Amino acid sequence: MLVIRPLQERDLDDLLAMAQAAGKGLTTLPADRDLLQRKIQLTQDTFDQRCAPEAGLFLFALEDTELDRCVGISGIQARVGLDEVFYNYRVSTTVNASRELGVHVRTPTLHLTNDMTDTTEICSLLLSDSHRKGGNGLLLSRCRFMFLDDFRRHFSDKVFAEMRGVSDASGHSPLWDALGSRFFDMEFSEADYLSGVGRKSFIAELMPKYPIYLPLLPQRAREVIGQVHRNTEPALKMLQAEGFNFNGLVDIFDGGPVVEAFIHNIRTVRESVNRHVLVRHKPLDTGVPATERVMVSNRSFRDFRVTTVPALCVSSDTVSLPPEVAEALEVESGDLVRLAPLKDAGPALFAGDRRMTSSTAWHRAPHGAHSEPNGVERSTLDG
Amino acid sequence: MWLVRPAQLSDLEGIRTLVSDLTGQLSTTLPETEEGLAEKIGLSARSFSGELGPEAGQRFLFVLEHRERGGIAGVAGIDGRAGNGQPFYNYRRDALIHASHELGVSRRVEVLYSSHALTDRTLLGAFAIAPELRGTEAFELLSRARLLFIAGHRNWFTDDMVVEIQGVSCATGEVPFWDSLGRHFFNMDFETADRYSGMLSKTFIAELMPPNPIYVTLLTDAAQRALGQPHPATLDTIELFKQEGFHAGSYVDIFDGGPVLEARTDHLKTLVTSHCKKLHSGEPTASETCLLASGERAAFRCTVAAISETLDDAVKASLEVLKVLACSSGDDIRVAPL
Repeated sequence: MLVIRPLQERDLDDLLAMAQAAGKGLTTLPADRDLLQRKIQLTQDTFDQRCAPEAGLFLFALEDTELDRCVGISGIQARVGLDEVFYNYRVSTTVNASRELGVHVRTPTLHLTNDMTDTTEICSLLLSDSHRKGGNGLLLSRCRFMFLDDFRRHFSDKVFAEMRGVSDASGHSPLWDALGSRFFDMEFSEADYLSGVGRKSFIAELMPKYPIYLPLLPQRAREVIGQVHRNTEPALKMLQAEGFNFNGLVDIFDGGPVVEAFIHNIRTVRESVNRHVLVRHKPLDTGVPATERVMVSNRSFRDFRVTTVPALCVSSDTVSLPPEVAEALEVESGDLVRLAPLKDAGPALFAGDRRMTSSTAWHRAPHGAHSEPNGVERSTLDG
Repeated sequence: MWLVRPAQLSDLEGIRTLVSDLTGQLSTTLPETEEGLAEKIGLSARSFSGELGPEAGQRFLFVLEHRERGGIAGVAGIDGRAGNGQPFYNYRRDALIHASHELGVSRRVEVLYSSHALTDRTLLGAFAIAPELRGTEAFELLSRARLLFIAGHRNWFTDDMVVEIQGVSCATGEVPFWDSLGRHFFNMDFETADRYSGMLSKTFIAELMPPNPIYVTLLTDAAQRALGQPHPATLDTIELFKQEGFHAGSYVDIFDGGPVLEARTDHLKTLVTSHCKKLHSGEPTASETCLLASGERAAFRCTVAAISETLDDAVKASLEVLKVLACSSGDDIRVAPL
């Protein structure tokens, strides 16, 4: 069984191995044992609510219970840009026009901004090669949306993701070569690594503060602005299907796009429903394809768990779970769980249900309905 | 003998011939059309006469003519106030230090800022001379006659002076600095922009110039090399100005990136070394070749000739020189060594 849970100390070796295998390009997770250890510690502090809410880092592990191993992770950074400065370029337009001469020129221009400051970021999606199948990537990515919605007061209304920009096989980024490297004598891969170990804002201090007129950059650099790396295209498509859109901001190093969505508009959030658990000992065929599976979240903050079950388990007011699934989710009969389709098209049964989500027959989980651990109800987090 | 004097309407054809012969070598800021040129000469005449005061847009146009051969061999101008009542545009080359204490790096980043700082300084310009005269006494005469005029009419001009030097262009006419920067914003070739800037109000520059500073490192290599560099054909001009005390500061032309030379008016060699003397007729002995300027305002004339100093602090020159300068014996003239 594959189960989402908060990342733990014992995942360090698995995480390091995954980060090493991923190589360059995974900015937020460099293969650095000490750094990863600190991230795990921060994650634990976050789930235990021992750190300031805005400093929170929620890293989720995908655990293969048979292998007793962490095979993927994904994350949510509660807020960016609060203790360091978070930079993006905004792709903007400058118009110069002279009526006298009949000239009207549009010049695409990059403006350095801190527009994402104080916004929640989804980040650090990483999945072992051995488990890239059967919707595991979707589970890793989408479980976060159920968490975001159930614990909205911890996050900004809007969430965003920075998508990896274009670089070639040898790690050269056309935008970095044409722009960043002119101001900072460093290879892109090195700058990217420094970003990952938390020194991006130091590099950004060396970057140009005045707007950059794109016609001054070579064609190959202009072309990659707002474009994703080929390997990132599936992730971008998945987020787009969830309702994320390019917001006009790009990474200051490689020009990769920033996509964003309001939490209440995210498809997984909109299409999710709550059901009471019914633990049943009836044998269950768990080998159904991803298209016929639904995600089940236990809606717990501290002991957040998500796994998938066949859509057949869902009925009009309950979801039937085999005992081992209930155990993995740490739920019992009668507990309220949250369900959402794993794939875009969703299972037929569930698609039928979805048409009813707006009707009163289905009650959507009100925010904060789930009882949370003490200490989260801080008024400073509201609004 | 060579004579520099205020331009007159009757010089119009001569100036046009000169300018059209020069086309393709160095550009001048002179208008191409007959009407434009006539207007310019008229404005100059009203400036010389004093009808236009220093704050009313004085623009002076001088011509170089050969007394015996006739014809116009050169023109040179002074704008009493750069910009002539409108903003005078330049880029100021400046530097920012991008430093990170944390990363232990510090880097000098060169930036071009749009500037009007030189607006209202007296500007030398509109210089054109027959190519064969470059580097001769006539060349020096034409250029420095303006400074003798300024020396004689000092209160018309400002304490700081500037001169724009044409920037680098290729043999094929491309201007690397323009092609890397201005072209993207003005959407026209250099020649067109240059022509408009001579013809039209400067409003179009305000409208079309990039509104933010420009990082030099993002310009093409050719444009970076051209920045602040003079056109090779102007080297003798620059040499002359440098001897006068001009120096290249941090300003460059917005179109071709050519340097703008600056000087303190009262420190210029011609102003410091020129003296007023009585001029007498007589064959000079132990002669020295000097610039001689006579007459005020519209009667200003300047030539280069041999003179000798007399014991009573006057100078002696041939009758021909007196005739060229329209002087009588005993008139005051201003003398500057070459």
